[in-house]
Amino acid sequence: MEANILAVAGIALVAVATFYLGYRTSRSPSTTQDFLVARRTVRSRRNAAAVSGEYLSAASFIGVAGLVLKDGADALWYPVGFTVGYLALMLFVAAPLRRSGAYTLPDFCEARLGSRALRGLAAAFVVFIGILYVVPQLQAAGLSITKIVPGAPNWVGALLVTVVVIANVFGGGMRAVTVVQAFQYWLKLFAIAAPTFVLCVLFIGEGGRGSVTTGLTEPLPPTFAENTTLDVRTPVLLEVTEPVHLAANGVVDGDEVSGSVYWTPMSSPYEVDADTQLSFFAGSSVPVVAGAPPTNDLWLAPSGDGEDVFATYSLMLALFLGTMGLPHVLVRFYTNPDGRAARRTTLHVLLLLGVFYLFPILLGALSRLYVPELLVTGRTDAAVLELPSKLAPGILGPILAAVLTAGAFAAFLSTSSGLVVSVSGVLSTDVLRGRVRDFRFATAVAGGAPLALAIVLRPSDISLSVGMSFTLAASTFCPVLLLGVWWRKLTSVGAAAGMVVGGGLVLAALVLNAVSGFTGNWAPALLLQPALVTVPVAFLTVILVSRATQSKVPADVNQMRLRMHAPDGLGFIRDRAVARFGSAEERARLADGRHRK
Amino acid sequence: MPGHKRVAVMSPQTRLAHSRRRARGRWRVPKLDPAGADRAATLYRRQRTLAVAPLLLLFTGILGLPLVFALFPALDDLRLLGIPVSWLALAVLPYPALTLLAGWQLRRAEQAEDRP
Repeated sequence: MEANILAVAGIALVAVATFYLGYRTSRSPSTTQDFLVARRTVRSRRNAAAVSGEYLSAASFIGVAGLVLKDGADALWYPVGFTVGYLALMLFVAAPLRRSGAYTLPDFCEARLGSRALRGLAAAFVVFIGILYVVPQLQAAGLSITKIVPGAPNWVGALLVTVVVIANVFGGGMRAVTVVQAFQYWLKLFAIAAPTFVLCVLFIGEGGRGSVTTGLTEPLPPTFAENTTLDVRTPVLLEVTEPVHLAANGVVDGDEVSGSVYWTPMSSPYEVDADTQLSFFAGSSVPVVAGAPPTNDLWLAPSGDGEDVFATYSLMLALFLGTMGLPHVLVRFYTNPDGRAARRTTLHVLLLLGVFYLFPILLGALSRLYVPELLVTGRTDAAVLELPSKLAPGILGPILAAVLTAGAFAAFLSTSSGLVVSVSGVLSTDVLRGRVRDFRFATAVAGGAPLALAIVLRPSDISLSVGMSFTLAASTFCPVLLLGVWWRKLTSVGAAAGMVVGGGLVLAALVLNAVSGFTGNWAPALLLQPALVTVPVAFLTVILVSRATQSKVPADVNQMRLRMHAPDGLGFIRDRAVARFGSAEERARLADGRHRK
Repeated sequence: MPGHKRVAVMSPQTRLAHSRRRARGRWRVPKLDPAGADRAATLYRRQRTLAVAPLLLLFTGILGLPLVFALFPALDDLRLLGIPVSWLALAVLPYPALTLLAGWQLRRAEQAEDRP
């Protein structure tokens, strides 16, 4: 019971701190420019902390550890991929994009290619990707709340996160969010580093609870550290590699069972229906959800067979090119004062992310020893939240769990608010009339829609569904951005065709996946991780259609291209903001309320 | 009075609001002077060339690692402080390597811009 109170207190503290910081800093912003891009005065270090704070989502904080627990060495590619995208950003996009003077992705499309229709299409994709990315955050929040308040329905956590985010964005828009995000990065780093450190010390010094009988290197499945009773909520397929005695109460392989059963290794997995209770004894080996490596030595080794290597490469491509197409990441670079600062920001981000990702990996490996029961239910995303109370003795366990839960909540809050800000920025300027009032209305829409979806849709592995948003971004915005910056023959027709084809293919893969999930999992690896096909197809479409429509190359393409690549010193970077918001002196005069002398 | 032009008196706010309304509509890219344009064109090609080397290094690293694991399965059994080398290569090595690569590229890109 103490665990719950501490964890609830931790979450409340994070929510209050977020709200307070947002409120404190939101008293100054008053104009549209403050709301959208924080007056373009954010320094590269603070902006890097804000980018990382925004970027480290539920997928990073709890999803990576869950995947490491389940898939072992193969899951280590996820954090590498999450980081490597920033190198692509630095190499090709950050500085030119900032110098282009555009505010959002659709704005860039219009400024570069001069087409209102393309702008509308880009806005639609920004909104779609944003919502697709927020949904798993909210579902993760729901999962954590049900972990600490047993019996609470799933929607409570999602609602809580939505309310805090909307309240915060209402108050201060982008400026407040920048400070809040930078704070969230350091909060998250502390919340994951400190517990990991304590848990590792306990593990190495053998001061932890229970005893581990199967090492991580043996060709055996993991074993239960203590007597464990599990409720299977959604139907699972279980693979058994060592004979195991257990008590089952419910439906297994289509037959009603009640009482003691004996499972032996079989060619086909055991089928356990929903609402079945399974009780295992300490020391018996763990049946593992089908599809994951069942024994520890397989888990430890990177897989060598063709399909897995294909999936790894496809994932890496999606993450490498998808980061630059994520609206909430890009909009941060517009808040830097110039192109050079934007480039420096990416270097700091790489550093900050690299420091962070060591910890979820360690937690995932420890979970394999101490909470293998999550492998039975398949809810491996809960690993980070459940590990401390299984490993640390006495009151220490609940305290560490509370710190980790608070950090996880910081992750849900920061990523969701970043996405809500960028989606509502696009909604308010492209669909509505761009006043502060419109921005607030758009915020309510951008927060409410994912909330409804999160409640209706079935949750799956968080890192996997986030991976899908990366694939979508890589297949729609990445070709337009890269070619827009570096290829002068790009036309608006080509860009639109590429976005429609790439986005359409990814959406088709998503739908087929969902269908196959309901009808016996026949989908090949290609559909689960389609980037290796969709991204080249999207690039090819953009290039071919652009070549066929050369008469549509905008007249000012050379001017625009030079502007993107001219160094900041030439001094025309601010022109566009001046045209829209007035010069600095005019603004200062207005702020003081003094008339011209 | 003849000889005097009549001027509407208004507050600076109104004046600003008026001028802003005029600035609406599609925004035009400002012109660069010829010297600046030359420099920007040179930099465009230079930065593109500079980006090739880090990109190749990155691809070698990312494509190479799975290949190395497939070719030398012995790496899984090799231990450093009890941790398999293949885990160290995936969980620790990429981050400093990426940061170094990015730092190197940042220096080259900024030097290219600073050179007059």
